Amino acid sequence: MSQPTALKEKLDHLQHHFIDSDQQFDAAKMGMWVFLVTEILFFGGLFVAYIVYRSWYPELYLLASTELDTFWGAVNTFVLIGSSLTVAMAIRSAQLDQIKGLIINLYITIGLACVFMVIKYFEYAHKFEKGILPGSYYSYEGIAHEKANIFFSIYYMMTGLHGVHVLIGIGLMIWLVVKAKRKVLHSGYYTPVEITGLYWHLVDVIWIFLFPLLYLID
Amino acid sequence: MSGHHISSAKFLWGIGITLFLLTFLTVAVTWINIPEPWNVVVAIGIAVGKASIVAAFFMNLYWDTKFNLMLFIMSLVFFLLMIGITLLDTLYRTDPIPSF
Repeated sequence: MSQPTALKEKLDHLQHHFIDSDQQFDAAKMGMWVFLVTEILFFGGLFVAYIVYRSWYPELYLLASTELDTFWGAVNTFVLIGSSLTVAMAIRSAQLDQIKGLIINLYITIGLACVFMVIKYFEYAHKFEKGILPGSYYSYEGIAHEKANIFFSIYYMMTGLHGVHVLIGIGLMIWLVVKAKRKVLHSGYYTPVEITGLYWHLVDVIWIFLFPLLYLID
Repeated sequence: MSGHHISSAKFLWGIGITLFLLTFLTVAVTWINIPEPWNVVVAIGIAVGKASIVAAFFMNLYWDTKFNLMLFIMSLVFFLLMIGITLLDTLYRTDPIPSF
């Protein structure tokens, strides 16, 4: 008697239009990859802007980049890579039915993401104080280049859009913690953890490029 | 074909530590002042290496269906097209720089 019930519980997640869990899992994952493709091209537009303006004003990038603190940029890179590691560990925990480990790893990830945002906040606040604002709001005199605002417009757009993605990621991790606590997730159904993980790794990959392109060029 | 590859904790830590070391390396190479344009080449090269490691072993593309890998690679191909075609315009303008 107990086995059919147990079996039914384990298949609660399965939508009627899929043959089995595996097909549903692979379909969800492919859908996420299609979304990540749009994300790459979304950020790609900003990278193109970066490249075009760098080809026009190479000396501006070298000058303006000195305003960015390499130390905190590097710390944030370590923080994000650490969070990617904990997300990978969270997926592993879910695959092995270790729900407690899953929740702990998600909490560490949320913590690291918050550390990233706090560091970003201080970096932004420090620049705002100096009058380093995007576009026509730029009023800083410390960079001897008439187009200095362009570098910082690109900086704020790229790191800002990335920051929004980190915030959305924090929201998704909280959603996963809630799901895990409700015991919805198990080794037969961890799709939400897997695809949120893919999203989080992509956010990490984008930062891996932003860090040398913005902070390390001086 | 299996989308359910389970990596060992040791393996995941190994990947994480490799990425930490490469991050350190990318900062360290700026201390030795490689001349233009090789400093950019080295920085982007290390970033591409790190991104490939993340995509292959954290995003599981190494064990995943080839279709997902194809999606990822196609996005990069179209991204490179976007860069290439844009630069064909912006690098060769007679009046190269707009007023803004």
